[in-house]
Amino acid sequence: MNLAVRIRNLEKHYVLKSETVRALRGVSFDVPAGDYVAIMGPSGSGKSTLLNLLGCLDKPTSGSYFLGDDDVAQMNDDQLSEIRASRLGFVFQSYNLIQQLTVVENIEVPLYYMDRINAKSRQRSIALAKMVGLGERLDHRPTQLSGGQQQRVAIARSLVNDPYFILADEATGNLDSVTTAEILALFQKLNDEGRTIIMVTHEDEVAEHAKRVIRLRDGLIQSDVINTHRKVFPPEVLAKAANPSEPIPALTAG
Amino acid sequence: MSILKIAWRSIQHRGLGSLLTVISMALGVMMVVSVLSINGLVSRSFRNNSSFGYDLIVGARGGGTQLTLSSVFFLGRAIETIPYEYYLAFCDKETRSKEFRNSIAYRGNEEQFRALEALNAVRMAPGSAGWGAIAEGLATDFLNRHQTAFMQIDERGLFSNYVNFAVPILLGDTYQIENSDAYFKVCATNRDYFDKLTLGEGKKFELASGRFFDNDDSEVGYFGCVMGALVAKTSGKKVGDQIKVTHGIPGESGAHIHDQLFTITGILAPTGTPNDRVVFANMEGFYLINDHVKPVVESTGINLRPDRDEAKSLADEGTKPGVELSDEELSTVRLPVEQRELTALLVSVFDEEGFGLAAQYLQQPIEQGNLASTLNWSKFRPLQAQTSAQCVNPVQEVMRLFVYFVEPAKWILLALTTLICVVSGLSILVGIYNSMSQRQHEIAVMRALGARRSHVMLIMLTEAIMLALAGGLIGWLGGRALNVALSPIVERQTGVPVRFWDFAPAEPVFAVLSPLLGNSDFASRLVKFQMSPELLLIPGLIILAVLVGVYPAISAYRTDVAKSLGK
Repeated sequence: MNLAVRIRNLEKHYVLKSETVRALRGVSFDVPAGDYVAIMGPSGSGKSTLLNLLGCLDKPTSGSYFLGDDDVAQMNDDQLSEIRASRLGFVFQSYNLIQQLTVVENIEVPLYYMDRINAKSRQRSIALAKMVGLGERLDHRPTQLSGGQQQRVAIARSLVNDPYFILADEATGNLDSVTTAEILALFQKLNDEGRTIIMVTHEDEVAEHAKRVIRLRDGLIQSDVINTHRKVFPPEVLAKAANPSEPIPALTAG
Repeated sequence: MSILKIAWRSIQHRGLGSLLTVISMALGVMMVVSVLSINGLVSRSFRNNSSFGYDLIVGARGGGTQLTLSSVFFLGRAIETIPYEYYLAFCDKETRSKEFRNSIAYRGNEEQFRALEALNAVRMAPGSAGWGAIAEGLATDFLNRHQTAFMQIDERGLFSNYVNFAVPILLGDTYQIENSDAYFKVCATNRDYFDKLTLGEGKKFELASGRFFDNDDSEVGYFGCVMGALVAKTSGKKVGDQIKVTHGIPGESGAHIHDQLFTITGILAPTGTPNDRVVFANMEGFYLINDHVKPVVESTGINLRPDRDEAKSLADEGTKPGVELSDEELSTVRLPVEQRELTALLVSVFDEEGFGLAAQYLQQPIEQGNLASTLNWSKFRPLQAQTSAQCVNPVQEVMRLFVYFVEPAKWILLALTTLICVVSGLSILVGIYNSMSQRQHEIAVMRALGARRSHVMLIMLTEAIMLALAGGLIGWLGGRALNVALSPIVERQTGVPVRFWDFAPAEPVFAVLSPLLGNSDFASRLVKFQMSPELLLIPGLIILAVLVGVYPAISAYRTDVAKSLGK
């Protein structure tokens, strides 16, 4: 099976004043390509630490983290930046769009850091914007969009670099229930198309849409189970979640 | 999407903040441009005013600076006077002959001089052998008595071969504007002042209205005057108006208004020189004012001048009071040479090589008393007269003043403007710093999406530089525009026109660094290198922007992505 993520004995210690906090105390799991994982846990469980490590925003104290064939635990800051740009798709709770850029420009930001901006990349960004239903708002600024629309831009952005997986951090935390459902439907549709999704959440209603749930407690994995009660959106909802009218041009080299 | 574009969008995003930063920067730069321009103007104006078409000033012994200030800039008090003969020493034979016939010595012995001239004519005439012998005898007898006078005054002047011209000036009186405290200096001189002297860069005196007075004017006689532009503007006088001059400075003891009326024959166009603040009166009329007539005494011998004590005792005894002219005579007859005095002579030296060396060589003989020997021709002397003269090079004096006063002032101004620039730079820093917490998040997002540390650092630096450049450019254009807008006023005050593209004058801008540079060949060349300081403005701004941008850049570099994203 093709693995997107392979984590072994991952530990992360923080030194606060004279005290050492062992936020992660040896975590191991695999995420096969095409999986849809929810990571859960109460505050203090090491959930955020794991998120930062998965997102290559931080380096583990020990252990290994293979993203594809490379152990990113051994990489320096610039290499990590490159990995983030080329292999990861972030979706944040507060959307984190760049305010001064338009919808399309926001979508293509990761490509810029990969040095892959060209005539086709713009087409790809526009196609992704259309796919998430923002084809009419390409030139809008984030402040002109609703929360749900902003999150759709963020999802389009997370897809632009054709990532190994989408890392969603409380992606629906700021949204009402109707919009939450729309976003989750979009995630399901993306997963149905073969995208790997890892989402960090503390809400059971969100987690129950994932195929698999990993629960953390005190820096260790408490449980790692297949979600037998998975909630699935019906096809008519999925049909509305994304607009597949246009094929998305493939990513081409710089 | 380039870094430039991202930085530009970021500036746009913080619209008002960016605008205020740019404005403060622009104002700073505007001030720098103005200061540099003012400095350039002051230098040029100084230089212009010290190239006036003459090389030397001859005046009574005293401070050379004072003599220069009073004669060139009409500032401060005039020092003592010198005898009128000193002027004649620089005149050609014709002028001297004419002046000679206007002396007490000549008037007292008019018959003899006329006879002598007649005899001379006869002596020279062909076929007059018999008469010739008689004339010879008479001439010898007369010459024995008047030899020196005859020899000296009818010959060329002592220094006339070395000079192009000499213009006499007489200072000390003022013109007080009627019903006002304002007063201006009066400079008594002759027509040569306007005909022979030049303003900066060889410009001639020009009239706004009227005409220059002639020394013996067919319309106003000896009582013509020409007003400087500022005097005319302040007093509101027109050509044809009559004015009275004040003896001394109004309000001081001994100051009083002369009854004599002078008629304004012309008003000067603005020159941008001290001449604007002066009333030029015809010297001939000036001498005829009662107070200006020096009482004279007849000395004991023909060929010897009485020394000071002797002259004084003669005056005390009341013996031989000299020749006094009645008031009626005074209004029509020119004041005799012996009773005249001058404040200064403005001398243009004949300099064939054009290296300015001739003036230097002439300075010594003039100072070393040769001039005093020209006084022996007449036995009539003013009661008290200073005979020792000094000769100064006004350009040297002005340059010395320039170095003492204007240069330090310039450095103070430059220090101030540097400070202004630093403050503007700080305003950029403050502008960026204030938005830093907001930026931390933005930077964290960019970093999360794959931006390298160096990239976000560059964005911050680029932003600072863009702000500085925008401010600098706007400020520079603004400063230039301001200069052009103020050009008419500036030109009126300094005589220097300002055009948009006139950079501040070149100077050795790196000389300040000389203590830091050591003694290498490169250092000495760098110190001597001249360029307009304005051209350093933009590179200087970039350096400044980099300096103030470094802090935000480092802060961007150090941004903890995971922490800042969580905010």
